[in-house]
Formats: sequence, structure tokens, C-alpha cells
Amino acid sequence: MNSSSPRASWHYALQGVAALVWIAQAWLIAGTIADLMDYEVGGALAAADVLTPIWQAALAVALLGLLRAALEYWGVRATYGHARRTLTALRKALGERLRNTSPLDARRPPSGQITSAWMEQAEAVVPWLARYQAAQWRVMIATPVILLFVAWHSWVAALLLLLAAPLIPLFMAIIGWRAQAISEEQLEVLGQLHGHLLERLRGLPTLRAMRAVDATAARLTALGQRVARKTMRVLRVAMLSSAVLELFSALGVALVAVYVGFHLLGQLPFGAWNGRLSLHAGLFVLMLAPAFFEPLRELSAVWHDRANGKAAVQTMQTLLDGLAPMVDNGPPAAGAEVTVPAVTDPRNAPQVELQGVRPALAPAAEQHNALAHRHSLTVSIPAGAHVAVTGPSGSGKSMLLALVAGLVAAERGEVRIGGIPLTAHSAPVLRQRMGWLGAQPHFVSGSLQRNLHWGDSADPAADARTLQAVGLEHLAGRRLGEAGSGLSGGEALRLALARLQLHAGCDLLLLDEPTAHLDGETAALVRATIMRLAIGKTLLVATHDPLLMAALPYTLTLDGHGHAQLLGPAHGHAAQSPEVQA
Amino acid sequence: MAQLLRALFEKRTPRMLMGLVMACCTALAGALLLGVSGWFITGTAIAGLSVSTALAFDIFAPSASIRLLALGRTGSRYAERVVTHSATLNALVGVRERLFRSFGRAGIDQRPLWQLQPSRLLLRLTRDLNAAESLYLRLLVPSCAALVASLGISAWLAYHNPWLGLACLLWLLAAGTGITWWLLRATTKLTLHQSRHAEQLRRHALDITTGQAELTMAGRLGLWLERLTGKEAHLADLDARLQRCDAIAAAAWQAMHGLTMAAAVAVAAWLVLVQQVPVATAAFFVLMALAAMEPFAAMRRGAMEWATTLLAARRLHQPLADAPTTAAETAIGTTDINGLLQLPRPAPGLAVQMRAASVPGSDGSLRLAELSLDVACGETVAIVGASGSGKSTLLGLIAGELAAAQGIVRALPCVALPQQTVLFSDSVRANLDLQQRQPDDATLWAALQQAGLRDAIAARSRGLDEILGEAGLGLSKGQARRLALARLFLTDCSFWLLDEPTDGLDADTAADVLARLAQALEGRTCILATHLRREAALATRLVVLHHGRIARHVVRGTAAFDQVLQGLRGD
Repeated sequence: MNSSSPRASWHYALQGVAALVWIAQAWLIAGTIADLMDYEVGGALAAADVLTPIWQAALAVALLGLLRAALEYWGVRATYGHARRTLTALRKALGERLRNTSPLDARRPPSGQITSAWMEQAEAVVPWLARYQAAQWRVMIATPVILLFVAWHSWVAALLLLLAAPLIPLFMAIIGWRAQAISEEQLEVLGQLHGHLLERLRGLPTLRAMRAVDATAARLTALGQRVARKTMRVLRVAMLSSAVLELFSALGVALVAVYVGFHLLGQLPFGAWNGRLSLHAGLFVLMLAPAFFEPLRELSAVWHDRANGKAAVQTMQTLLDGLAPMVDNGPPAAGAEVTVPAVTDPRNAPQVELQGVRPALAPAAEQHNALAHRHSLTVSIPAGAHVAVTGPSGSGKSMLLALVAGLVAAERGEVRIGGIPLTAHSAPVLRQRMGWLGAQPHFVSGSLQRNLHWGDSADPAADARTLQAVGLEHLAGRRLGEAGSGLSGGEALRLALARLQLHAGCDLLLLDEPTAHLDGETAALVRATIMRLAIGKTLLVATHDPLLMAALPYTLTLDGHGHAQLLGPAHGHAAQSPEVQA
Repeated sequence: MAQLLRALFEKRTPRMLMGLVMACCTALAGALLLGVSGWFITGTAIAGLSVSTALAFDIFAPSASIRLLALGRTGSRYAERVVTHSATLNALVGVRERLFRSFGRAGIDQRPLWQLQPSRLLLRLTRDLNAAESLYLRLLVPSCAALVASLGISAWLAYHNPWLGLACLLWLLAAGTGITWWLLRATTKLTLHQSRHAEQLRRHALDITTGQAELTMAGRLGLWLERLTGKEAHLADLDARLQRCDAIAAAAWQAMHGLTMAAAVAVAAWLVLVQQVPVATAAFFVLMALAAMEPFAAMRRGAMEWATTLLAARRLHQPLADAPTTAAETAIGTTDINGLLQLPRPAPGLAVQMRAASVPGSDGSLRLAELSLDVACGETVAIVGASGSGKSTLLGLIAGELAAAQGIVRALPCVALPQQTVLFSDSVRANLDLQQRQPDDATLWAALQQAGLRDAIAARSRGLDEILGEAGLGLSKGQARRLALARLFLTDCSFWLLDEPTDGLDADTAADVLARLAQALEGRTCILATHLRREAALATRLVVLHHGRIARHVVRGTAAFDQVLQGLRGD
């Protein structure tokens, strides 16, 4: 990533320039004190003579202070703006990649992890670009310039500063190396504690049920104390490295002060370019000494921002690598219309054909899935057929549905819905006629309407009727929590059915194990609702439920070895024997 | 806020105060180091003008004190950071335990379920506690140091001229607190707004990642991503506004620094010109003023984080207020240390005695309506009914998770096996011994044997110390259920509540688990909620719930019993 465009660098430099204003201020302050000494020692000068330059100097110091404030404000704003825009761009890029990545790939990181990288972790980019890089620039600009000014007056003082910060790059590298190791270790320790905490919070019902809340709280404290001790060990090292910087800075000031003092007394008569330093120059050098170390201390304070920022960019760029693509979901291209026949006439419900289709999944050991094992599948499902897709778990039932929906793109072969090939171009229109119910229906936080329509409701009365039809009238007006929490399993499924029912215009239903894990009464209701919804539509249901299978005229059996057999209505013989190529 | 500070300082006041003192020492040492150096240089410059005064000048005391201050400042800064950080880290451990206990009671308050999301609770325990830490580390500590530095320099000035000293103190305090106060006021609302918006954005992003398949199929993914971009832009705008406040405050500090230095120069010059102080002392003052400004700048970060801290204090207020360390009184009754209601004992020989108990639902209807039920010790009773009929509510009442709005509930203490098996990424031993009773290995192995899990655990290389839950070392669903059973066997309680104990297991595993359970139920009392025939078959009595009422009540050995059993879902 190009993290520092030329324009941004120029702004980064601004803060470094602001730090240089102090040189002028220090010169004026030192000059004033020197004037005062001349007045006190010489006695020849009248008070009025020294008064004017002193007032002028004080005024100039004040004005320079304001200038410095303005420069810093300008610089900080510009660098922050650049950093924040980079964060927006990073987030947007991840959103784009998410849009083209299959949500059904087993290797996809958990949604929580993606969200946390997308939202929280990404934020680490801002301190890295805004704080760390600005501090780095300040070190590169202010430190050498100040050293030059000191050396202009006294090479010994400059040497002392250099010695006090010996081989600055090496020194910073060592601290940085330690700081990085430390921050990694601390992150790991904290991550463990957080994981432990989250697990116990998730398990609270169990802990309460087992009467173990008290014991767990006690254990948590023991663990917390251990983590605190470990963190302190880690922090002590971090603080020690900053204490070293601190020590060099304090010693640098002390050494310069002692040298200048002895020099002015005449005991260390060397070091100045022309004989002896004046008080003006001596005080000036002393006041520059802390400013010489200040940027270094700042840099060490923000050092860990660099590692965090880089790690965030790395995560954002590689998080979704190697996952299966899904058929693109872009807006339909203007002008190229894909016509969809009118719905509810069984003769218009689409035929579904798969012609030598192989999913675009990278071969991976952890995917025990027949279709994932690079079998290609050919099958043709007649228009308006109600098909139970069966087979042992892992035989590819869900994958078949995902391929038809375009949620996993085909690497080879072609999926045709109602004769129209499923491509990036046609997918948005074809999906309008599909009703999808995944193995675990997802809900979002917010109102029920938002969950039924993925947006605002057009017809609240119709919503109420639909909810009543699936026996969920008691939920009307309820707000759901994160990921639909607050719903029981049965309620979630019935709500998903209501969603299907409200999806007007769909004539191809794709359902993945709708009756699994339901009690008998709810399962019966779900079966009845499915049969009612499927009238006049093509229906594909992946299921183990014998009652549901019995209710459907067609059965498509996947045997887990890449073979598929479609049995026709009522006859029990093979209506079609689709060919399967391994 | 005061409550949060109390919780932080509780039992650790000396160390926390010591941290403050150390911070003040650091600030003073820093100011003195520069001041003495300036005084020394000016003094030597004057003395160096003639050889005789140069020889008479005492160089050792000042140069030694300069070195001492340099080392002292480093040492005290290091000690300050160690002391303050270790004090807060340890204080947070204590606060965390209090919060956890409070969350442990959460079910009783009958708050809506979505408010009790574990991920939100975790944020209470991590982010909000860190905000509390910043209250001490970033606001209290630097404020103290700044105050002491201001007082020091003003006192010096007041010694020479009381009015100047007073003016100095007023200026430093007015400018210092003024900028901090402005920053607090300008950012508090904005920060609250920003954090609410960031939370919304996060939720929206989570909705997109979890619901990607559904959104794609509904043709809404593009729209939702666009909305996300819009929300992100709004957040960026809020972030930029917050940062502008920060930048303005930083510029104000910088300006205050410049003005103070100019004023210090003017004051020093005036004192010299009216011959009140020698010039070396004036140099001491100017350089001290320069160093005394340093702690003020550190307050800015604390002030920026003030709103977050305030929000955290508000969020933690309730949990901290009612965090029980032992038994506690709540609005609906007394809870024990495990956060469950302490129910009165039933009549001898009975495990449960319930008379006309009602539990209202959220929408006004009754989840349980005037339900009466007796369960004798040693009995196994199955509660059957469709989902939503009130099975779980009934179990909750008996366990002490819920309070009845009306009626009487008396029950013996029990342990419950929830529907979902929860395993922790911890050793097998820790997973079994949730109550930390630390039984010996033989007892643990016996419980595993009884649950049919012994061989599977013995096959692992580290046996009882094997860590579960990490990649590749997970247990199958059936094994996890067996582990949950072994947990039950290890408790010393003989009254069990089981919620669908074999739900989601295949028929063979379920049969084996149920057989082992039946064996273990000898001499114990058990109530199980189920919709499966195979589980209900364990019971001596079936209670059929329908819409929160007992519809039927049948006893084993009758035709009605078999009829109800046949009506349940088979394998």
C-alpha cells in the first residue's frame, strides 16, 4: 500500500518544522537573560536601555509560540485526514472482496472475526499513519537540525548529546524490536484472557445451572492475577526501555549543563569555536538539549502503533484469500434485459439444469464434501418439480443448492435456470425468482419488518397476516438482538418461512434441512407451510426427514461418490438418469 | 463516576496514592533539573568574568545536585509508571470479579435476552474497564503532577512577590483547567454520539457478514454495502470532528506554552530590573517554568477519553451496585453466591412443591398459568409439550432462575443440564470439575467411565490434562454430551433437571446415553423436559404442558401413558 503520498509527506514534515520554532524562542529567551546579566554586572546600562529589547523579545516569544501552535494544528489535521481516508479506503476494499466471496465456503473465517477485522482491527491504521509517521518525521527533521545548531556554538556540547543518544538508529531499532516482541506477547496474553472471559460469559447459563458461578469467579480472579503479573513483567521491560531513553535525555541535559558551567568558569576552556562561549550561547545550548531528545521520546511512545497498523493492513488484505468466489452480485447491466416469465403458473416455474458443474473450491483436506472433491455433476430437474435432495451427510446436498443459487460459483460447466445460464450478468435477475432458506437462517438486529424485508416494510397488514399464517403473531412488534438472538429455534425457522412467503415473484424454492432439530408439532407446521408455498413452483429441499421426503413426488439421491439419481413422481422408477463424470 | 473510582481504589488506596506522589516527584525533579542547570550556568558565567570569583565559585554542590536530579527524575518516572500500572492492573482484577458475579445473576432480572449478549458483556469487562483505568492513569495522575508543578513554581514566585505568585497560579490553573474543561465539554456529546454510531456500524457490518447468503439471494447485498459505506462516511466525519477538538486543544496548549514563556521572561526581567533577585535566580525561574509546562500536555489524552470513561462508568454503575460477593437481596428475592434464587424448602419427602405458580410473558400473556405440581424425592418426571408450551420456564422456576409472579414455589437445591452443552477451551479436568471441588483422578475417571467417555479420554496423550476445544482436539457432539453427563455425576447434588438431554444425537448414541442416565437416576430425583419419545420413556410420570397449563397428567403403567408416549416424536 502506498501509505505516504508526496502530498501527505509534506504535511508530515509540517509538524517537524513546528518543532524547529523552539530554536528561535530559545535563542530569544537566552538572549534576554544574557542582557540582564550585562545589566547587572556592567551596571553601566540604564534600566530603560535594556527594557526595550526585553519587551521585544518577550513579544516575539509569544508570537512564535502562536506560530508554532498554528503549524502544529495544520500538520496534525492534514496527517489525520490522510490516515482516516486510508482507513475508509481499506474498509471499502474489504467490503468489495466480501461481495465476491462465497459465504458458504467452510474455510471462511467466522463472521465475528471478519467483522472485528473490518471494524475494530482496521482502526489501528489511523494511529500508525497519523501518530507514528508524524513522530518519525519529527525525529528526521528536528533532531539533526537542533544538533547542528548546538554544534554551531560548541562541538563538545553536540558531542555530549550524540554520546548521550549513542548510535540513535541502532538504539531505536533495539527498543523497537523489544517493543514489538512485548506488544505481541501482551496481545497474546490479553487475547487468552479475553477468550477465557468470553467463553465463561457464553457459558453462564451452564455455570449457573451447575451452581459453579462462585467457583468460576474465584478462578477468574486467580487467572486475572496471573495475567496481571505476566503483563507487569512485560510492561516493566517496556518501561525500562523508555526509562533508558528518559535517562539518556536527563543525563544529556545534566552533562551539557555541567560542561557549559565549567566552561564558563574557565575550567574546561575547550569546545567552543572561537575562544569562549557567551552566557547567551551557553543557555541556548542548554535549552536545546531537552528539545533534542523530545522527538525521540515521542517516537518510542508510539512505536507499537507501527506493528499494529501493519498487522491490520496485512489482515485486511489477506483475510479472504483463497476462498471460493460467488457468482457476482453486481447491479444488472442497463440495456441488456433478462426476461423472467410471469409467476404462479406451474408451466412457467423454471427448469433447473446443471451441465457438468464443478464448484470453484480449492481442493482442501478439511472439506469432506463429495462435490468439493472436484466431482462434476450433471442433472436436470423438470419445471415445477418438487424434489427432495437426499443422501448421507457430506454427499453435497447443500453444495448442490449453493451452486443453483450461485452462492458458490462453478469453476466448470453451466447452471441454467429456466433455460437462462447463471452468470454474473443474469444472477441478480435470476435470484429474484429464487427463495432461499439456508441450514441456519440468519436474522439481523432490529425490527421484525427489517428481518422480513431486509429493509422497510411496504405493507404492514400483509406482514401481520403472514406472521399469523406461520403462528408467530405474538412476535409482531418485537425487536431482535444481534444475529437474531431472542428467537427460539422453532421461531427462527417459522420467521424464515414468513420471509419466503413475503418474497413475491419467486418460483424456485431452495431449502436446506428445514425440519432438522424441530419438535414434532413445529415440524408438521413447517412441512405444511412448505407444501403450501411450493404450489406452482419448483422446489428443491435438502432433507433427512422421512415425512417430508414422503410428501414430495421427486427424490434426488446423492450417494457421496459423485453419483446422483432422480426418481420420478409416484412410479418409483428413474425418470431420468443424470450422468455423472468423476 | 465516584462509584467507579471507589471500586478502583478499594483496598488499594496506598498504592494508588503512592503512584500520584511519584508522578508529582517526577514533575518536580524535571522542573528542578532544568532550573538548577540554568541557575548554575548563569552563576558560572558571572563568576567566570574574573579569575578570583571563578576560583571561589562552589561548583560541587550544584553539579552534584544536577546529576542527582537527572538520575532521580529517571528513577521516579520509572517507579511511577510501574506503581501506577501495577496498581490499576490489580484493581481491575478485583473489579472484574465483581462484575462477573453480577452478570452471573443476570437471568433473574428478566432483562430482555438481547441485552445479555456475551459479546456485549465482554465489552463491559474489557473496553469499559480499560476506560476506567484511563481515568486514573491519564487524567488523575497527570492532573496531580500538573497541579504540584504549578503550585511549586507559584510558591517560588510568591516568595519574591506574593501578587506575582498569585497571578502565576491563577494563570496556570485557569489556562490548564480551562483548556481541559473546554475539551471535556466539546467532546463528551460528540464521543457518545461517535461511539453509538460506531456500534451501529459494527452491527451493520456483522449483519452483512452473517447474513451474506440471505442478502445476496434477496438482491440486497449491494444496497447494504452501500449503506455501510454511507455509515462509514458519517463515522469518518464524526472522527474528524473529534480529532479537530483534540488538535485545537493541542494548539491551545502550545499557545499557552508560548505565552507562559513570554510572561516568564518578562517577569524575570522585571524582578532583575527592580533588583529584587539576582540574574542567576531569574534564569532558574525561567527554565523551571519551561519544564513545569510538561505535565499539562499529558492531560489532553485523558480529557479526550473522558467521555468514554463517563460512558463506561454509567454502564458499569448497575452491575457494580448489585455485585454480590456472597448471598444478596434483590428485588425479587434472595440469591445465593451462584446467582440463583434461594427457594424455600418443600415438605419432607418432596423435591418440588408448586402451588398456582404463574409467570407472565413479555407480551402480557402467561408463560405459565396457575400451575400446581408436586414431585416426590426419587421420582423421575418428564415434562412434554411443543416448543413454547412453557417447559423451559417450568425448569427455570424450579432451578431458581426465575421468580413466579404469583403462587408458591418450593424446591430443593438442584443442578441442571441445559440443552446446549458448553465446553471451555480448558483441560478435561477443568471442564469436568466446574465447581472447583478438586476431586482426585480416580473419581474423575469413574465419572467418565459411568458416562461412557473413559476410553475416548484415555486414548488422548495427556488424558485428563488434554486441552479441549482447540483445533483438531474437539469432541464430537455425542462425546460432548457424555462429558456434560460426567459433570452431573460429579456434583454432590441428587436432584437433577435435564433439558432435552439427547437432542441432536443420533439414535444409537442417544440410546446409550439414556441407558447410562437411567442407571445413574437410581436414588436420585429428576425432572426432564423433552419432546422426544426416547427421553420421555425414562419417566415414571408424564406431565403434558399446553400453552403454560397442565393439559394431561399420566402415570406409567396406564394406557394413557402409552398413548401420550406414542404421540411424541420418534427417532
